[in-house]
Parts: sequence; structure tokens; C-alpha cells
Amino acid sequence: MSEPILRIEGLAKRFGGLEALGGVNLSVAPGDFRAIIGPNGAGKSTFFNTMTGLLKPDAGRVVFEGRDVTGEPPHRLARRGVARTFQITSVFADLTALENVQVALLAHARMSWSVWPKARPLHTARARELLNLVGLGAGADRRAGTLSHGDQKRLELAIALAGEPRLLLLDEPTAGMAAQERLESIRLVHRVARELGLSCVFTEHDMAVVFAVATHITVMHQGRVLAEGTPAEVRSRREVQQVYLGEAA
Amino acid sequence: MTRIVIPAVILLALPLALSQFWTFIAIEVLAFALYAVSFNVLLGYGGMLSFGHAAFFGVGGYAAAILLKKAGLPAGLAFALVPFAALLVSALVALVIGIFSVQRSGIYFAMLTFAFQMLLYTIALKATSVTGGDDGLTGLKPPGALAQPIYYYYYALAFVAAALYFLHRLVSSPFGFTLRALRANARRVQYVGVNVRAHQLAAFVASGAFAGLAGALFALSTGNVFPGWLDWTASATPIVMAVLGGVHTFLGPAIGAAVYVVLEVFISGHTEYWPLAMGMIIVALVLLMPEGLSGLRRKPA
Repeated sequence: MSEPILRIEGLAKRFGGLEALGGVNLSVAPGDFRAIIGPNGAGKSTFFNTMTGLLKPDAGRVVFEGRDVTGEPPHRLARRGVARTFQITSVFADLTALENVQVALLAHARMSWSVWPKARPLHTARARELLNLVGLGAGADRRAGTLSHGDQKRLELAIALAGEPRLLLLDEPTAGMAAQERLESIRLVHRVARELGLSCVFTEHDMAVVFAVATHITVMHQGRVLAEGTPAEVRSRREVQQVYLGEAA
Repeated sequence: MTRIVIPAVILLALPLALSQFWTFIAIEVLAFALYAVSFNVLLGYGGMLSFGHAAFFGVGGYAAAILLKKAGLPAGLAFALVPFAALLVSALVALVIGIFSVQRSGIYFAMLTFAFQMLLYTIALKATSVTGGDDGLTGLKPPGALAQPIYYYYYALAFVAAALYFLHRLVSSPFGFTLRALRANARRVQYVGVNVRAHQLAAFVASGAFAGLAGALFALSTGNVFPGWLDWTASATPIVMAVLGGVHTFLGPAIGAAVYVVLEVFISGHTEYWPLAMGMIIVALVLLMPEGLSGLRRKPA
């Protein structure tokens, strides 16, 4: 087995008396498409926020490509090649779709400190390429805030891809979508990740979405990993059916 | 091209058509236009409401006054150094205030800037040997012909134009783009690899430095600085000017500054209740024209 691209050991986070994460382990091999599932309150979002440096972990380690990145702030992690999206769609609403991607490209090119050149013509070709890749080429000049929910999710993906990440973390990439749209959306992510050779970790509620694309599944419950394995393995585990699959059925 | 040439011609010809009094007012407009625009680089582009911006305008004014009155340099040299000293000192003060203030956002950021400004106000009031205390520093005068308003107008115009050009480049640059993204969504911008607080701090320093230059230019026009320049009520002025002119355009706050200053002259000539009139104008404007005066040019959606 090759060196994992992401290895998380015993990650723990408390909020006052509440144990949000009770020592989570996770190992993602390069090229994996890893789903993290679990009921509401299982700690999935806290897990995302803690491993990406938005929250400070109380214990545990986060190792990306063999390097300990525990507690590094998000901007530093982004520069190392980790991109993420948010459960609540998170774009730059007053900027056009094209400008949204430009901002990310400029940051990736370490140009966010550049005060003299005019930004408007910079990196537009690459920005359009990325918008085309996610199927948003036609909306390039619209303000991001006026795009439909699904298109904002596509835009978020384009923003995330602008940094040429090797690991993509998606927090509920299909939240707020209709069932059919959800499958289309995750397939888009899946296709793009395959094309670009990215590894991916995503949280998801919709089992149809999970089983459509995941190579591995981690089941979380009350801040801990309850089960882990291939989709077939996870599906057959009884305790998983009890806490999660059963609940959904 | 006409967008630059016509205003340039008007601004260059203006003092030829104005009385000495109105030339003096025009200088005030120039200084406050720079003040309001530099303030709005923070508010309109960076989404940061500073409630202590008078600190920088005041520090710039005091830097100019202290350099002229207390440094013991030849008058010509001291005067030549004033704009650069004002920029530098205000930038340093903004750096110190900014390091603390950008740790928080929203109302807490505003309160931190407010607190630092009150601290500087107290220093201006109490450090009498340097600042002149309650009496301020008076009798500041540019050397030679520049003491006449008409020439000083051109001197101030040159600095304000250069400063506005720089600030315009700044907001149009990749840094400016990043600032707008940061206003829209600070959390998201972290995850594309931007150090949010460092960018906020840089914007704060640039804004403070040019507010300081504006203060110095104004101090040499009126000939005095007073602790009142650093009082908290003075921090409302750039906010009102920016909102009046419109925070979503680069020059909107400059228009706001011009309207504010001229209205103040007219109304205070008729009544001592001019803040009352100004208050009513602002209420009407915010309710009827939330985009400010510069919003008038845009067609309704």
C-alpha cells in the first residue's frame, strides 16, 4: 500500500463539556474517493473544520503527504495543496463568477500582495477554462450571488480547483439540491477529480450519492469512527445499519 | 480619456475662478476628498468599518505641525519633508493600531479603532510640551508664495491627485481584488491561500497613511491643529462623507466630501444649527439613495 496522502491520528476536539471529536483516525490513499457519513451531529463538519485548521484540535495529528500540518491555518494548508468547499455554499457574492476564480488563481500564483498591475486581465484564460470544466462557462460574467444554488456549488468547485490541489475536501457538496441534481453534481466532482488525479474526501447524507462514487466509506457517530471500508463492507455492517442506514430507510 | 481630462481641466482652472475664501474651501475639499477615499478603501473595498480614522488624519496633522514648529529644521526643508513624514508617521501608527484591531471584525474592530483614537486624543490633550495641549499648534505656514491659497491649492492638488492615483491602482490590483473577495467572504478567501489578517492589516496601513497625508495637507492650509481633530466625533466625518457620496465607487466618497464641505459652509453661514440640517440631509439620503450620490448615475435595475 502506498503512503497515504492524508493521515489523521486521534483527532480530538471538545466544546466545553461536549466531546465533538473523540479521537478520529482516517487514512486516505492517493486517488481515493472517500465518503464520510453519519447522522446529524456525528461531528462531520467539526472534523472538517479541525483538520483544516479553522478550529484548533485538542489532540491528534493531521499528516498531509507525509508532513505534519496539525493546526496550520487554512491559508497555509491551501498553499500546500489542500482545497475545501463548504456545506453552506461559500462564494464571493458581489464578484462575478470569473472574478471569483481569478481571486483564487491570483492567490495561488502568490500575487495577492501585488499592488501595481491591474488585476482584471490577469489569469482570465485559465479562469474561463476552469469555469468550462465545471460547466459554468456561460455564467462567467454574472455576479456569483445571482447564480442558482447548483451553479454556485459548481463555482465553488472551480474556486477550489484553481489552487491546483492534490486533495479536495468537500463538506456536503450536494446539500440543498434535488435528488437528480445531487447525483449529477457528485458525478461532476468525480469526473473532474479523476481527470486531474485528485484524492477526495466528502461528507454526504444521501446514500445514493455515496454509493455512486465512493471508493471507501467512513461512518462517524458521536464524534468517533464507527466503521470503515469499501461500500460493500460498510453496507453489510450491522451497527452501521442501526445508527445510520436503518434510520434513513 | 475625457473622464480624466475634463475633471483635470476643471480642477486646474478652478482657483482662477474662485475668490480667496473659496480657494481656501477648495483646498479643504481636496484634503477631505483624500481622507474620505482613503477611509473608504477600508470600508467599501475591505468591508472594515473603522470608527477611529480621525486618529490618522490627526496624527498626520500633528506630524506636520511638530515638524514645522518643533523639529528645528530650516523652514523650507521641514516643509518639503511634511508630506512624507505625515505618510510615514501615520503608517506606523496605523501599523500599531492595526495589529491589534484586525484581530477582530465587525463592531469589535470598530470599537478597537475607536479606543486607540481616544488614547491618541488624550495624548494630544495632555502632552502639552509637544502637542500644545488644549491650544493645539498654531501659526503653521508654508514658505514663500505657497502661503497664498492659490498656490497652495496647486500644491495640495498635486499630492491629492498622486495619492488618489496610487489608491486607485491599489484597489484595481490583485491586492484590491483580494480585498473585495475578503469583504464578500473572509472565511472562503482563507481557503484559497490568503492570509486574511495580513491583508487587512496592509489595507489598514495604506488607508491610515493617506488619511495622514490628508491631515497634513489640511493642517498647512488652516495653519493649526487641535486635539479636536482626534476627538471621536471627528471619526464620523469620513463615514458620513463616504456614505453621502457612495461607498461602492472609488470616487464616490470624494464627491461626498465636496458636498459635505460646501454644504457646511453654506448652512453654517445661516444658522449655528448646521449639524441639525446635515443630520436631516443624511437621513433623507440614506433612506432615499442608499447608494449615495454616485448611485444617481446608475440606472435602476
